[in-house]
Amino acid sequence: MATTIATISLASSDLTSSALAFSSTNPLNTAGTATGLSLTSGLSRTNFTDDPIHQKLIFRGDDATANGANKIYMKNLSTTPAEFFTVYINSEEMGRLYAGDWAFFPWSAANGTKRVFTVTVAATWAIGDTWEFDGVKTYADSATVGSIANQIHAANYPNWVTTHTADAATVVFEDRVSGLGGTTVVVTADGTLNTAGNGTANISSAAVSVENVGDVYVKPSVATTIDLEHMLFHQ
Amino acid sequence: MATTTASLTLTSTDLFDDSLSLSNTSTLYKAGTTIGLDQTTGLTRTYVTATTQFDPFPVVKGTTNADENGRVYIANLSEEITEYIIVTIGDLVIGRLYAGDFMWMPWSPKAQHVNDLEITPSVATGMHVEFMAIHNFANIYPNSADS
Repeated sequence: MATTIATISLASSDLTSSALAFSSTNPLNTAGTATGLSLTSGLSRTNFTDDPIHQKLIFRGDDATANGANKIYMKNLSTTPAEFFTVYINSEEMGRLYAGDWAFFPWSAANGTKRVFTVTVAATWAIGDTWEFDGVKTYADSATVGSIANQIHAANYPNWVTTHTADAATVVFEDRVSGLGGTTVVVTADGTLNTAGNGTANISSAAVSVENVGDVYVKPSVATTIDLEHMLFHQ
Repeated sequence: MATTTASLTLTSTDLFDDSLSLSNTSTLYKAGTTIGLDQTTGLTRTYVTATTQFDPFPVVKGTTNADENGRVYIANLSEEITEYIIVTIGDLVIGRLYAGDFMWMPWSPKAQHVNDLEITPSVATGMHVEFMAIHNFANIYPNSADS
């Protein structure tokens, strides 16, 4: 466990008739415990120069334990007073970080779900038959369905991870990240099968994804260079 | 105009192999200017005894603050480590403040009920909660009815 201490101080001699001099200090612990948060994204600096202006995803719901005692730190590094970042949780605008402003807030990290489907290698395959999915083509080096499933599982897919029992005919695919897959069901036609015989690679048990409602985005106010500093403390 | 500063330090000697020592101070200005924010709700400390959601900074009906930019401080003063408050904005949960936790964030209350901040205590056995807004909004009130 790590010990991380956060301290906030607010001070003003003229905001109210009595001076404001206020400070609060607290260790960053995991939810409901006295155990320190031990995971962090590290202190990051992200540059924005997109023209036209685009939002950027800063933290994804998958990045932390949902409903944990996660904390986010952000700072607008601009020195031009009119430049700001608008901070969003999903589509909800939290507020604007103007030049030099910082924020430190808890984060629910509400993540969505991932698409899942099973592909079943069946019927008669021949060496050299192919199945292509997510831009990755598998060439059968055997006519045995279990062996072909082993090959499909062994491939590296850009957007999917697989699970598989050795020599079984089925391979389970799951999105690498939740919420990105939309609500489109993966179907057999999404894979390209080229077989000399009557081999099949049917997809079943398909599930759609559910949006990450806890994703944190920021959008700069200008297309000129502007930098954001950010850090996640999480469990 | 008033001059108010907000400072944050984050320190750790064992979160990384190297130590963390981050310190920031910002002056609270009105949006896009170097003119200090000049209104505050004051630092409010309240004792909540229900798990009912409440609105610490109600926005008066008909008021718009679309381009304004205030800052909000909220803290859970409980000493029971399992007790927390859920802070929401509009329909979305920002996160949970456990015992002793605080938050500081910008806030642009566009209009009543559009992106209101709300607090929901986890227990009804009594919990102190502290909150303050420093702002230049038109018509927000602490602890008033939100109707």
